[in-house]
Amino acid sequence: MYALIDVHKRYGLRTVALRKLNLEIRHREFFVLYGPAGAGKSTILNLIAGLTKPTSGDISRDGVSIAHLPPERRGAAMAFENYALYSHLSVAENLAFPLRAAGLDRSEIESRVKRIASVLGIPHVLDRRPGFLSGGQRQRVALGRAIIRPADIYLLDEPIGHLDAKLRHRMRAELKALAVEMNATVVFTTTSSKEALALGDRVGILNSGRLEQVGTPAELYNSPANTFVASFVGDPPMSFLSVTARRSSDGVKLYNGDGQAIASAPFDVLGRTALKAGLRSNAIQLVDAQTSGALKGSVQVVEHLGHSNIAVIAAGGDSIQVSLPADRRLKPGEPVGMIIDPRQIHLFADERALVGEHV
Amino acid sequence: MARITAQNLIKRYGAFQAVHGINFDIADGEFVAILGPSGCGKSSTMRMIAGLESISDGAILFDGRPVNDLRARDRNVAMSFENYALYAPITVYENIAFPLRSAGMDAASIDRAVRSVAEKMELGQLLSLKPGALSSGQAQRVGLARALVRKPAVFLLDEPISHLDTRQRYRMRRFIKSIHQEFGHTMIYVTHDQEEALALADRVMVMSDGLIQQLAAPDEVYTRPANAFVAGFVGEPPINFLDFTDADDRGLTIEGNRVALTEKLCGLVRQIGPRGIAAIRPHFLRLGGGSPVQLRGQGFITEELQDHNEIFVDVGRTRIALVTPPGQKVHRGEDVTVSVDPDHLLLFPAGNKVREHSDDI
Repeated sequence: MYALIDVHKRYGLRTVALRKLNLEIRHREFFVLYGPAGAGKSTILNLIAGLTKPTSGDISRDGVSIAHLPPERRGAAMAFENYALYSHLSVAENLAFPLRAAGLDRSEIESRVKRIASVLGIPHVLDRRPGFLSGGQRQRVALGRAIIRPADIYLLDEPIGHLDAKLRHRMRAELKALAVEMNATVVFTTTSSKEALALGDRVGILNSGRLEQVGTPAELYNSPANTFVASFVGDPPMSFLSVTARRSSDGVKLYNGDGQAIASAPFDVLGRTALKAGLRSNAIQLVDAQTSGALKGSVQVVEHLGHSNIAVIAAGGDSIQVSLPADRRLKPGEPVGMIIDPRQIHLFADERALVGEHV
Repeated sequence: MARITAQNLIKRYGAFQAVHGINFDIADGEFVAILGPSGCGKSSTMRMIAGLESISDGAILFDGRPVNDLRARDRNVAMSFENYALYAPITVYENIAFPLRSAGMDAASIDRAVRSVAEKMELGQLLSLKPGALSSGQAQRVGLARALVRKPAVFLLDEPISHLDTRQRYRMRRFIKSIHQEFGHTMIYVTHDQEEALALADRVMVMSDGLIQQLAAPDEVYTRPANAFVAGFVGEPPINFLDFTDADDRGLTIEGNRVALTEKLCGLVRQIGPRGIAAIRPHFLRLGGGSPVQLRGQGFITEELQDHNEIFVDVGRTRIALVTPPGQKVHRGEDVTVSVDPDHLLLFPAGNKVREHSDDI
């Protein structure tokens, strides 16, 4: 188990990369660091690998500090988004390099190189030099070189970020299967919600050097701690409505900026201020604008995604995304009604999640 | 605003031909995405429209008038990629007004134009600031406002947004779409990201190898791709390709699975012949039997994306992906049956260009 304890990291005098960060990477887990560019994801990998030092705080392995150890004694293998390969060696030799350095015998090296090349979909370029590879192929060789040798922890910094969509989708599954097969401990960084959910046993949501939440994909998706996590996990992102809670003849209801009731309050939030209702695009049913009890709005934008469409509906000063079947036609400006299931509302006050018994 | 027409448009770089005599007609006010891998000719095409590259042969017409011999600045084309360098010593207002002042417009008209574009771009509060005080997103909007204020005939965007995180991508897409809805320009957006192309455009022009493979509405390129290249390039998760053999009037064989064919596909098989490629989108596959088209395979991995699952199954030598409701799972090595929605089974001739591992990016 690797841990960052109260780690603070500053670059120069001004730039704070990490703020009092505490993080545990468990043995044999696939841990995904997910956040926007500049959140501090790569800094965490560099700290574990020993490529940079914390400004304050400690880094430990199995309870023992490793902060003073040089990179080669930390048990980490790292793949960068910006790959550096030996240009005078073939792909096979590049892949074999870490194994030769570890003193493995020739037949063992050969079989491992073949296995990794097939996982990465590059068996046909083993004889080529890096200069004759595409960017995507180079990235895969660099990844292969990192994961080919035994290590206590594999640090993968957006390792499939440069690949085209098809390859990325396929490699995602291959990488996860390989990690399971190798019983590997992996830290993987990404800016894609889908990748984070698909790969992570646990996911850490990083924002401006702080961990907003750490949890399983289901925990993050179903119980986001705050609006940042809620808006970041899930594709398409969650929509937020500014609401107030008021008592009506029909129990406590949530009202939007227009004073329209959007739904019954899922639990008692009377008296709470700065309330936001978070809705996933599949939690809303689109109906005729005249339907009684429906939240009224008008279509702003319709996006086609092939298998489905996403409509952005303006209502009460909010923009609400609704997933639609591909054959449902809507025009910008068209009035529509929305039925919202109260059980699927996420409530936030001052950007933090409210937890209550759903009625 | 303008209608943009290409007639037998060719681009050569020395002996290398990048664009092979393409024809298209983009309506006034239309939003077209040019989609393809790098090297497909999409950027050359856009640069010829902009006037940044010479036209080797053929013609580009704006509203029926050839523009081959017009310089870039005389074509009245706005481009997103040239817009970010703002003039630091002057205010946002003056930055936006700049192209109008250089065109000699009177002060009252300039003021009207600047305030109108600023309002549409939500820059009203920022007009008196200098560029140094802006966030990068605001600076980008000012750059776009400066491009749009002079009412260009066509707005060209070469905006790679696929590297942004999921939230920013949606935000940026909405922003680009709202510009089109607010201003109504003819817009041409160049991208290698199929999701952006489908989401934004009225029509998608799919290019590969210097040729237009298909130019059609997003749902059309998705459900009725013109060929295997388009089928493979459009769709998320990507479409599954499987070789088929022994096709005849009744059915065909996919990786050892004999499957019956609908009337419509039988006609297609007669044209294609006994061997070819079957393609099926992950959304049109499901676990379990019950379809006339079933494939047997072994489970590989299940990805739980919370609102749906993506499941990989090995059918013979081919690994395919399925999109299923949450909760469905396969275990590695488990025997499973996959049902194909026969209405969405696509067949293509073998050798029709498919890039299983497109290594372009």
